[in-house]
Amino acid sequence: MKENILTFENVKLIYHTVRGETVATEGLSFTVEEGEFVAIIGPSGCGKSTLLSLAAGLLSPSEGKVVRRGSVGYMLQRDELFAWRTVERNILLPLEIGKKLTPAMREEARALAEKYGLKDFLGSYPTELSGGMRQRAALIRTLAAAPDILLLDEPFSALDYQTRLNVTKDVANIIRRENKTALLITHDISEAISLADRVIVLTGRPARVAHVHTLDFGENDPLKRRENKQFSVWFELLWKELNA
Amino acid sequence: MKNRVKNFSEEHALWLKKRSFRLAAVQAVRIGILLVLLLFWELSTRLGWADPFLVSSPSRIFSTIGSLYREGTLFYHIGVTLAETLIGFAAAVALGYAIALLLWWSDLLRRVAEPYIVVLNALPKIALGPLIIIWCGTGSKAIVFMTILVGIIVVIMHMLSAFMQTDENKLLLLRSMGANKRQILTKLVIPSTRAAFISMLKVAVGMSWIGSIMGEYIVSRAGLGYLIVYGGQVFKLDLVMTATVLLCLLAAAMYFLVVLLEKILVKNTKN
Ligand SMILES: Nc1ncnc2c1ncn2[C@@H]1O[C@H](COP(=O)(O)OP(=O)(O)OP(=O)(O)O)[C@@H](O)[C@H]1O
Ligand SMILES: [Mg+2]
Repeated sequence: MKENILTFENVKLIYHTVRGETVATEGLSFTVEEGEFVAIIGPSGCGKSTLLSLAAGLLSPSEGKVVRRGSVGYMLQRDELFAWRTVERNILLPLEIGKKLTPAMREEARALAEKYGLKDFLGSYPTELSGGMRQRAALIRTLAAAPDILLLDEPFSALDYQTRLNVTKDVANIIRRENKTALLITHDISEAISLADRVIVLTGRPARVAHVHTLDFGENDPLKRRENKQFSVWFELLWKELNA
Repeated sequence: MKNRVKNFSEEHALWLKKRSFRLAAVQAVRIGILLVLLLFWELSTRLGWADPFLVSSPSRIFSTIGSLYREGTLFYHIGVTLAETLIGFAAAVALGYAIALLLWWSDLLRRVAEPYIVVLNALPKIALGPLIIIWCGTGSKAIVFMTILVGIIVVIMHMLSAFMQTDENKLLLLRSMGANKRQILTKLVIPSTRAAFISMLKVAVGMSWIGSIMGEYIVSRAGLGYLIVYGGQVFKLDLVMTATVLLCLLAAAMYFLVVLLEKILVKNTKN
C-alpha cells in the first residue's frame, strides 16, 4: 500500500479582516497518495487557492489538521519568472533559497532544463521566451529542488488554447516521467479529466469535498484521453456535479 | 533580440530613415529655440527694448563668468555648491533607503512612523532654518544638513511605496520555497524595485539642489546660492543670472548622470 503524502482532516480556515470574517473551508477532508496525480475542481472563489496555501504550510488551519510528508513545489497561474534573472538563474532559485546549490544539484537542474527543450535558452531572459516556454521554465524551476509534492494552482489558465493543450501535454509528461506526486487546482473540467488519476469536486464556499472520482482511462496522454469515448461521459457528470 | 533579421525590407529601411530624421529634427528644433531665445535676449538689451541692468544679457553673463574665472573664484563657488549638493544627495539617498528598508521590514515600525513621515513631508523645511543655524552653525555643515532634510523624506516615501508594492504572487512563491525575510529582501524586493530606485534618484537630484541653494540662502559665505543672494543685495543682476545659468548646467549634468546609470542598471526589470 502506498503512503499518503498529504492528508487534510476536517480542516477549517477563517480569514479575518476588519469588515468581518470569511470561512474559506470547513470540514474539508481528503488525502493524496504518493505518485498520484489529483485534480481539484470547484466553483470560482470557493477556496481552492486557500487549500493550496494550507497544503504548502503558508496558512495554518483554524480547526482540524493538515499533515504533509516532504517538501512542496508551488506553481502558479502566471509563471512568475524573475525578469532580472536569466532562465538558468530562475531555475536555480529554489536551490539558492534552500541553500542546496551544490554542483550536483545544479547539474541536475541544468540536465532537466536540457531534457525538456530549454537548453538554448538557459542564458536568455524570460522576456525572450514564448508563453509556453516560460511556463515550462516555471515547471522546471518547481522541479529543481526535487519536491515531494507539486502544488499547481491553475498553471495553464493564462495561456491561449493552442499553447495550453501543448503545454498541458508537456507538463503532464514531465510530471509522469519524473514520477512526481501532484495536486492540480483547476476550474477547467476537461483539463482535470485529461490529466488526473483522481478528481475531487468541491462545494461552493466554504469548500468541502462533494465528490471523488477515480478515472480509469488506462492511458495517461492527455490528448489521447480527450479522444476517448469515456471523456465526454466524465465531462457531463462533473459538469452536473459542479453546477449542482 | 537574438535572431534579428539582417536584411530589412525596403519599407523598413524607409521607416528607419524617417525615424532618424525625426529624431534629428527634434534635436535641431530644441537647439534652435535656445539660440533664438539667446539671440532675442541679447538683441533686446542692445536695441534698448530692455534694460540690461535689470535683465542682464548673454554676453554680460559670458564676461561675468570670465571675470569670475580671472579672479579665481569661479571654480571655488561651483566647487562649494557642488560638494554640498553631492554630499547631501548621497547621504539623503543612503539614509533614506536604509530607513525605507527598515520600515518595510517591521510592520509595527511602519505603522508607528507613518503619521510622522506625512507631517515631515508637508512641513516646509525652510521653517527649520533658524534651528539648523543654532545646531550646525553657519558653515557648510548647516547646508548639507538642509539638503539631507529636504531630500530624505522623499526618498523614504518613494522607496517604501515601491517596496510595499512587491508582487504578492512572487512573495507567495518565495515563501513556498521556504525563503526567510532576508532572502525575500535580497532576492525579490531589492532587485524588483530597481526602476523605482532610478526614478527616486531623479527626484532626489532636484530635491538636493533645492536643499543646498535654500541652505546657502539662509547661511553661507560661498557657493552659487550665495552669489545669487549677494548679487541681489548689491543689485548686480549679471551675477545673479550667471549663477543661475551655472546652476542649470550643473543640475542638468547631474540628471544626465542618473540617466546614464539607468541605462546600465535597468535592463531586465520590466515584466
Ligand atoms: N487574504 C485573504 N483575506 C481575506 N479573505 C480572503 C483572502 N484570500 C482569500 N479570501 C477569500 O476566501 C475565499 C476563497 O478564496 P480563494 O482564493 O481560496 O478562492 P479560489 O477558489 O482560489 O478562487 P478562484 O477560483 O477565483 O481562484 C474568497 O471568498 C476570498 O474572497
Ligand atoms: Mg484561486
